[in-house]
Amino acid sequence: MTAVLLASAGTSSFPVLPALVVTPVLGALLVMVLPRRRPELLKLVAVSTAVVTGAMSFWLLSAFKVGDPGFQFLSETPWMGDLGVSLLFGIDGISLFLVILTGLLFPVALLAIDPGHDARPYYAWMLLLEAGVMGVFGALDLIVFFLCFEVVLVPMYFLIGRWGHGNSARAATKFFLYTMAGSALMLVGILALAFLHADATGADISFDLVAIAEAQSLSTGAARWIFAAFALAFAVKVPIFPLHTWLPDAHTEAPTAGSVILAGVLLKLGTYGFLRFGLYLFPEASHYFAPVFLTLGVVGIVYGAIVATMQADLKRLVAYSSVAHLGFIILGTFALNTEGIEGGLLQMVNHGVSTGALFLLVGMIYERRGTRMIGDLGGLQKSAPVLAGVFMVVMLSSIGLPGLNGFVGEFLVLLGAFNAHRWWAVAAAGGVILAALYLLWAYQRVFHGPAEGDNADMPDLGLREALVLAPLLALIVFMGVYPKPVIERMEPAVDSLVRHVEFHVDGFSEPVSQMGSEIGPLDDSHGEHG
Amino acid sequence: MIAALTTPYVAWWALVPLITFAVAGFLLLTVASLVRRLPAVLAPAWTAVAGLGVLLYLVPMWSRVGRDGADSFLAGTVGVDRSSIFVTGILAVAVIAAALISRDYLPREDLPGVELYVLLLMSAAGGVVMASANDLIVLFLGLEILSIAVYVLAALHLRRIESQEAALKYFLLGAFSSAFLLYGIALVYGATGSTNMVRISAFLAQNVLVDDAMLLAGLGLLLVGLGFKVAVVPFHAWTPDVYQGAPTPVVAWMAAGVKAAGFAALMRVFVLTLGTYVSDWRPAFQVIAAATVLAGAVVAVVQTDVKRMLAYSSIVHAGFILVGLQAATDRGNSSVLAYLAVYAFLTVGSFAVVTVVSGTGDASHGLDAYRGMGRRHPALAGVFTVLLLGQAGIPFTGGFVVKLGVLAAAVDGGAYWLAGVAMLAAAVAAFVYLRLLVAMYLEEVPSGTETSGAVPLGALVVAVASAVIVLVVGLVPGPLLDLARDAVPVLVAG
Amino acid sequence: MSDYLRNWLTLVVFGGVAVLLVGAFLGLGSLVRPSRQTSQKAVVYESGVDPQGDMWSQSNIRYYVFALMFVLFDVEAVFIFPWATRLEVYDVFGLVEMAIFIFILALGLFYAWRKGLLRWI
Repeated sequence: MTAVLLASAGTSSFPVLPALVVTPVLGALLVMVLPRRRPELLKLVAVSTAVVTGAMSFWLLSAFKVGDPGFQFLSETPWMGDLGVSLLFGIDGISLFLVILTGLLFPVALLAIDPGHDARPYYAWMLLLEAGVMGVFGALDLIVFFLCFEVVLVPMYFLIGRWGHGNSARAATKFFLYTMAGSALMLVGILALAFLHADATGADISFDLVAIAEAQSLSTGAARWIFAAFALAFAVKVPIFPLHTWLPDAHTEAPTAGSVILAGVLLKLGTYGFLRFGLYLFPEASHYFAPVFLTLGVVGIVYGAIVATMQADLKRLVAYSSVAHLGFIILGTFALNTEGIEGGLLQMVNHGVSTGALFLLVGMIYERRGTRMIGDLGGLQKSAPVLAGVFMVVMLSSIGLPGLNGFVGEFLVLLGAFNAHRWWAVAAAGGVILAALYLLWAYQRVFHGPAEGDNADMPDLGLREALVLAPLLALIVFMGVYPKPVIERMEPAVDSLVRHVEFHVDGFSEPVSQMGSEIGPLDDSHGEHG
Repeated sequence: MIAALTTPYVAWWALVPLITFAVAGFLLLTVASLVRRLPAVLAPAWTAVAGLGVLLYLVPMWSRVGRDGADSFLAGTVGVDRSSIFVTGILAVAVIAAALISRDYLPREDLPGVELYVLLLMSAAGGVVMASANDLIVLFLGLEILSIAVYVLAALHLRRIESQEAALKYFLLGAFSSAFLLYGIALVYGATGSTNMVRISAFLAQNVLVDDAMLLAGLGLLLVGLGFKVAVVPFHAWTPDVYQGAPTPVVAWMAAGVKAAGFAALMRVFVLTLGTYVSDWRPAFQVIAAATVLAGAVVAVVQTDVKRMLAYSSIVHAGFILVGLQAATDRGNSSVLAYLAVYAFLTVGSFAVVTVVSGTGDASHGLDAYRGMGRRHPALAGVFTVLLLGQAGIPFTGGFVVKLGVLAAAVDGGAYWLAGVAMLAAAVAAFVYLRLLVAMYLEEVPSGTETSGAVPLGALVVAVASAVIVLVVGLVPGPLLDLARDAVPVLVAG
Repeated sequence: MSDYLRNWLTLVVFGGVAVLLVGAFLGLGSLVRPSRQTSQKAVVYESGVDPQGDMWSQSNIRYYVFALMFVLFDVEAVFIFPWATRLEVYDVFGLVEMAIFIFILALGLFYAWRKGLLRWI
């Protein structure tokens, strides 16, 4: 594949999206041939590969044409001719920020944490994971998307299993089987979709996302069935309550870098899948099933918050807070209006940054104290004031304090949900309060109070750790104060997606636009955040 | 004056693979009988060279068939088309692999020299006959040549009682299945008036049988007979015992070669010959395929013996191949052939690793033997990982590509439920491979296990080559899929 | 039902009658005859000689090998006879074919000999 992709580099413009996939793969191969006993060299290669990949993803931000709702940076290479599968990549405003988030979090995670043992396979798996994730966000061919969606399981499995804590083998296996079983039917759904589409249009078999989505050639019944197959895969990956049970285990047993990537990027595969392959491919079915997902989203918000409140393990608490946050994203997505989807999308990025940072911080505490139990900690504010301060900011962003990034996303989600389904939004707003409860309470128990024993002389953040956290903190503040650059790139794509859904659902568009006009146009509300 | 006999037309060029295998076997046996002390390397090298020769010869044969079209000869009883060449290629690969694995296996187990190789070559010759049979009787002949050799091969480990048990079980059940097959042939002959596949399919295309009970009964018996050979539920019960007991290199041949020949025969008999009755046999195939993938996957999960695990996983694979076969379309046929090819590599590679791990006595097949292998034998464990992930059908391995092919064929034919069941079973089966991965990487080396020495070269070559091919097919699937697409099975009248 | 299957029906009827008749006679006999079991009557009948030892005694494996070899060449004869009756028709072709056939069988015998199977120890 490498050779094929590189061969396409000769075309008019540099194929940056394939390069985003290929660079980490090459880095992984390079790591595998380096001497095993030089961990610092291995780390240097791994981090620089991730930094190069990240730089390329940031370059996308500047090269991205603002205001264009379509796909950009397209590149296509035929792959399996007989089945019409081709390596088709392209991004729009929806996937752009997820690609950038991936490009940001991987160098951070690689730089922040050392594996401790077996450095060579660790870095190789991390880089392969990055390649897979980039592939998911960039793929516009259904089969290629599925390939990348599935293949990320393997590196993640080894990362959790080999470098995790506690009963990590069990957690890794659970994670693998849960997600693999979930996506089993999606492959059948993809095949059925492509063949039915080919039958209906008389065209050759093809898995081109845009062609299939724009044609909408399936019968309502078939589309609903296939949507269900897709939705199961995404729901497990997100995870949506009640399919979430793999998540706390995987998070708790995973190594810190694994948790950061899992929370920051991998959970987004599901929510991104809903947007790109749920709503876009099956607008009618999405609308038909929306009440189910709205309900499950709200249940997830409240359930995650309540269970998080009761956790004794700090990492588990953050894991359950993820369940709640992802409930918000689902709520926004299935509000099926511009505000909701945009909020959900923002929330994906926000959750990646905030929860990623939270896991990093918990990992740092664990590295110093050897425990994550809230009961064993206390008064850390005195011994490590900087760490406490950073933790405070990140936590407030996670709660959704105005002025920080979490607020923008949560507000838009609630706005969108309120416009579409008032009572669900009211219930979800209760979840915000619960989030404040469990996070503040946890902060109080960990950082306040008298410091005893080892807690009293815990070292504060080192330079490297501060360096790693700085970009995340900057992003948290920047996106809270001035989200316009992000939103203006998202909005055309989100808008066109919403139009697409409305167009294909009879008698759906009216109430939303009425409600929207009462609140006022969205662009005005940006200024209020700022 | 007595008129001289007119002998039938023989396309000798198409018989070269068959003759190569058979003559190589005979010569090896003769030489081994004449010379008391043969150099140990001669027999495996001889076998591998025979396999390699066949493989190379297939290249001009392939282009010749492409140019001149498929042919049949010996009074229309033997055919040559690209699908038979494809399957012959798989058989040749399996022969080479089994010979290389055996090279170090026989001395390690202190077993006598050449018989395994002779029987392997004979068995391969039988497989070639099966893959190119144009007549049910010839098909049966090929099946018997193949099977009888494998019965003896299974018993080859003289000092393991399990090996004897495996051979006896395989022989008894195999004999039963042969009887079923023969009876099925007889009934089909009774209903259609011929055993020639071309004439049967022509007869069925031109005549509508008012009363087809006998044909359907014959069809069912054929399915039973061939179903035994390829180990699909409910005719699979022998597989785990035989795989567990038989010498591991022989198991590699059984899983890769015998299965390929069996499915080639199934394809010729059902899709080509009885294609007009597809609506009658397809439901049976679908039910069998669903039962096979489910039962294989579920039972594999509770196994503790690695050879038994792989046996049940081979049952799952057989079910997957049936999922493609039941479509009875060009897409289905090519997906089956591609699956057989990739599966051959997956399975010979896996059993090469199992041979190495099993240690002297071919006895340690428990999960314990694999604990901590990631540390003791990083290279071997890495190769095994690739092969297991391939068997699980993880993307970017050949296993995924061919699974996608059979599923596409099933979905194309409208068998959505079957594709869904197969994917769910694949998810269950993934647990089996994960257990092995967990044992290799995530569990510590049990104390008291000696760190094993060097990995024997033959098995290592097979394992590494298989893993590389599986990965390459996963990344660049085009060439294999094109080959499989061009390998259309056809029946040509003689 | 086809004529073909109807012919089979005759067979089935015939078989059924046979089973019924035998069953009826044996059943009738068991009803009328006296039944007084003694241990002597349960002994295996071996032409008037008292049975000795276990029925599952082992016989030497060599008998089996020789029996197998015999069958091998018996089968050879079966194939050679019909060939011999049509020798002129088959001509050189037949000669070559039969030579190959006998060569392969002879190879088997040769192999068995070199393996020491023909020696009686």
